[in-house]
Amino acid sequence: MVFKSIITQKEDQNIFLNRILFSSLLILLLASIIFIRLIFLQIYDSDQYKLRSLNNTIRMQSIPPSRGLIFDRNNDILAENRPVFQLEMIPEQVQQIDKILDQLGRLNLINKNKISELTERIEKSYQFKSITLNTKLSEKQIAIFANNRNIFKGIDIKSRLVRYYPKADMFSHALGYVGSISSKDYLRFDSSIYTGKEQIGKTSIERDYETTLHGYPGKEKLLVNVRGRVMDRLDTEPFQPGNNLILTLDSHLQEIAYNAMQGKKGAVVGIDPTNGEVLIFISTPSYDPNKISQGMSISEYKAFQNNKNKPLFNRAIAGQYPPGSTIKPMLALGGLDMGYINPDNFIPCEGHYLLPNYSRPFNDWARHGSVNTVRAIQASCDVYFYELAVDMGIEKMSSFLSKFNLGKKTLIDLGSEKKGIIPNREWKKNNFKSKQNQSWYQGETVITGIGQGYMLATPLQLAMATAMIANRGSAFRPHLVRAIENIKTGELTYTSTEEINNLQHIKQEHWDIIHQGMVAVVNERRGTAYGIFQPNVSVAGKTGSSQVFSIDKSSTKEIPEELKDHGLFIGFAPLEKPKIALTIIVENGGGGRVSAAPVAEKIMQAILNSERQDGV
Amino acid sequence: MVFDKNHNRLSSEDLFRKFHIDIPLLIAFLILFSISLIAIYSASNSDINAVINQSLRIGFSLGAMILIAQMSPLNYERIAPWLYSLCFLLLGVVLIFGETRNGATRWLNIGIGFQPSELMKIGMPLMVARYIARESLPPSNISIAIAVMLVILPTYLIYLEPDLGTSLLVAFSGLIVIFLSGIKKRYLFIAFTLFLTSLPLIWPLINEFQRKRVLTFLDPEKDPLGAGYHIIQSKIAIGSGGLFGKGWLNGSQGQLDFLPERTTDFIFSILAEEFGLIGIAIIICIYLFIVGRGILIAINSQDLFSRLIAASISLTFFIYVFVNISMTIGLLPVVGVPLPLISRGGTSMVTLMILLGMLMSVGTHKRLVSK
Repeated sequence: MVFKSIITQKEDQNIFLNRILFSSLLILLLASIIFIRLIFLQIYDSDQYKLRSLNNTIRMQSIPPSRGLIFDRNNDILAENRPVFQLEMIPEQVQQIDKILDQLGRLNLINKNKISELTERIEKSYQFKSITLNTKLSEKQIAIFANNRNIFKGIDIKSRLVRYYPKADMFSHALGYVGSISSKDYLRFDSSIYTGKEQIGKTSIERDYETTLHGYPGKEKLLVNVRGRVMDRLDTEPFQPGNNLILTLDSHLQEIAYNAMQGKKGAVVGIDPTNGEVLIFISTPSYDPNKISQGMSISEYKAFQNNKNKPLFNRAIAGQYPPGSTIKPMLALGGLDMGYINPDNFIPCEGHYLLPNYSRPFNDWARHGSVNTVRAIQASCDVYFYELAVDMGIEKMSSFLSKFNLGKKTLIDLGSEKKGIIPNREWKKNNFKSKQNQSWYQGETVITGIGQGYMLATPLQLAMATAMIANRGSAFRPHLVRAIENIKTGELTYTSTEEINNLQHIKQEHWDIIHQGMVAVVNERRGTAYGIFQPNVSVAGKTGSSQVFSIDKSSTKEIPEELKDHGLFIGFAPLEKPKIALTIIVENGGGGRVSAAPVAEKIMQAILNSERQDGV
Repeated sequence: MVFDKNHNRLSSEDLFRKFHIDIPLLIAFLILFSISLIAIYSASNSDINAVINQSLRIGFSLGAMILIAQMSPLNYERIAPWLYSLCFLLLGVVLIFGETRNGATRWLNIGIGFQPSELMKIGMPLMVARYIARESLPPSNISIAIAVMLVILPTYLIYLEPDLGTSLLVAFSGLIVIFLSGIKKRYLFIAFTLFLTSLPLIWPLINEFQRKRVLTFLDPEKDPLGAGYHIIQSKIAIGSGGLFGKGWLNGSQGQLDFLPERTTDFIFSILAEEFGLIGIAIIICIYLFIVGRGILIAINSQDLFSRLIAASISLTFFIYVFVNISMTIGLLPVVGVPLPLISRGGTSMVTLMILLGMLMSVGTHKRLVSK
């Protein structure tokens, strides 16, 4: 070491102490800066940072509400929610994912062909979020899984609620079905009350009463970490379930009608004429809505849509058919009311009708000989109504038929209803392009007289018209929902109905005459539905056949199925205080007598039986 | 022999003195180590293994410190040139043969990953102090120039790795010695203005990644999920802690992983979140106590070399604390400096404890020198 004198050491010390003092002051300054900064962060701005810290970690998550239940008028359950079991995996809890998936495949717990697809999905998603491996486990699969649970760590069975329709395909066109929410659905409804996880009504009541059935989602306050993993549940606000619906439908009648329609294409609509409640609502062929609600592959759904029998098509409200002879009682009423026919006058029917300037005759389906109004309805004489049509003219006919609410929507509580057609000159002018086609021909008036030509009506419209006949003029707007049950209070809100009566001015004796004709259809020899029902049954009706294709009647046997006539039947029962007004349409069923009337018989009999029981 | 209470107390004090241990400093270290274990347990989401590992590192570092404290400052003075030369050589070697992690070539693989730049933290103050102390104060202009070169060369090598943070700290530990040696204020003023005016020239030379850090520091909210994420989450943690803190293991920013690197660079934020301003004020006071005690040791030591290294170690220690805290509260850019004695980490703690061991050595060997 270099030797230093005491003096230089003193000098050294002074300089050094100077600098140390300066440094110490600097240290105190820097420390003060830190403290000031900390005071700003932790005291002055603390609230702001506390809020940001909460925003980091708190997530609000909505819980889907449980959907309202649907009952029939007798409290039979038609739509409920059932747990479906699915297989879920949390990837980070599984050690060898490939091996486990392989094992699951071998036990048939997952689809073997989808393993590679699953592997890919697992790789792409968060390792702590559960992934669904199988959306629908059968009872057997649940049992197999339970037996092997110890091998499958990180895999578990979870349940979710899925819409279930206990009566399967019997009510499908009335109830509709539900499915997962599509982007289109979000446009229809208030997206703020949807969590995206629930099922949404896609058709019929499920769709049109969506807001009633849906309810309001609950909220969960979750504590999440930086990767979104839920660490804790802080607060839960339960969901408010959807309200229940009580329908006007009667399961018992629906079942009878549905069974009677087995193997037939068509529709049955039965309305209580006293209040517009729809008791029967059937469109066949039907489908099992459970299959759609529990998730159906796109190909399965496409196959459904492309089925030539159109099972998804709601014939009861959207099927438009020529009403055929079923409009005869209504036209007869118009003729009587306006004085075009005298009920006591008999006119001859030679089996055909000739119009001046028309070379081809208008054929009747039979030679009826001498007929008056009652007989013409009873035997469905075409010639009688050809003549009446020509006398009335198309304008008077169409305006009178409109009073039966034909040609306009019934305003039932379902969307996608069609309004049918009651043709007249103006309608033709508006609906045809070429000038030549726009003018109305008298031949068209003639066939309108037997419900052919341009005229179209839905089964529901005909049922409502039948209700008017049964009620002698008045009817109520048809509806499927009888009451909404408030799930909180249990209070029932009944659907109010609107009475329509355009036919108040009709004389009772005229109603008597057409009722007499319709009773004769069922109960008298030469009646078109005679022999189908029990003798002297308290039923009034009218058959109809509407031509799908104009062919020579003599070659009936060789007509291919899809070109056969549609068979129709309208009717009501019992005669005193009618309880049901019914319309049945069987597509390509041949005449109304052979296809539709037997279905009506079964329903009417059930009504009358229950009437008798009530009477006892 | 008579053993009265008084005698007993004296003898235990003697024991510590015999092992060259400064009791106030040791107590301060032990408090900080305890805080370290508490904070690491919380920051590692209650991982007891992290605490055990840290305890082992603490034990090892304490051992190193006590060992170093046994040696007289004279020995350090003697080995200073050799240590410095070795470090300098290794810094050259690391640039050629070093292991690259995350784009930085800092490690030499000699069984364990070893950073020569860490060793330079010890070599630098020793070398500069020895060089300055060979003549009386104030040093001549030539001495200053040479001393500055001694500082700049290794600093540049570390900067090339690149490791801006460490290079600045190493430079500081050397420059502080020159400053304490009584360099004329005029020179200091010139150096300072030179530094400021050269900043725009240096700016394009430093690499992209470091420039981004500085820009982020100036406006972290510009890229809240990217470059600004660390500093924003750190400020949220500290600010939301408030005066009293959220309580141990209750800091949501830390417990729910919002705060990154929370056992190392951002452990201060965890402490601030869970123990509040009161908690960290106590911690800062302990640091200031250590610095103050170190300065006292420097003032009381008898020879210039001891004085210079004791002061350099104390002031460097303060700068570590200051840089780390400033970085977590957004006063300085994020440069990756751990919080002394509390952050998790092996090498940096051993290095620091060796330096503090030297401080103890200076503090406890002075009487021997005076005799």
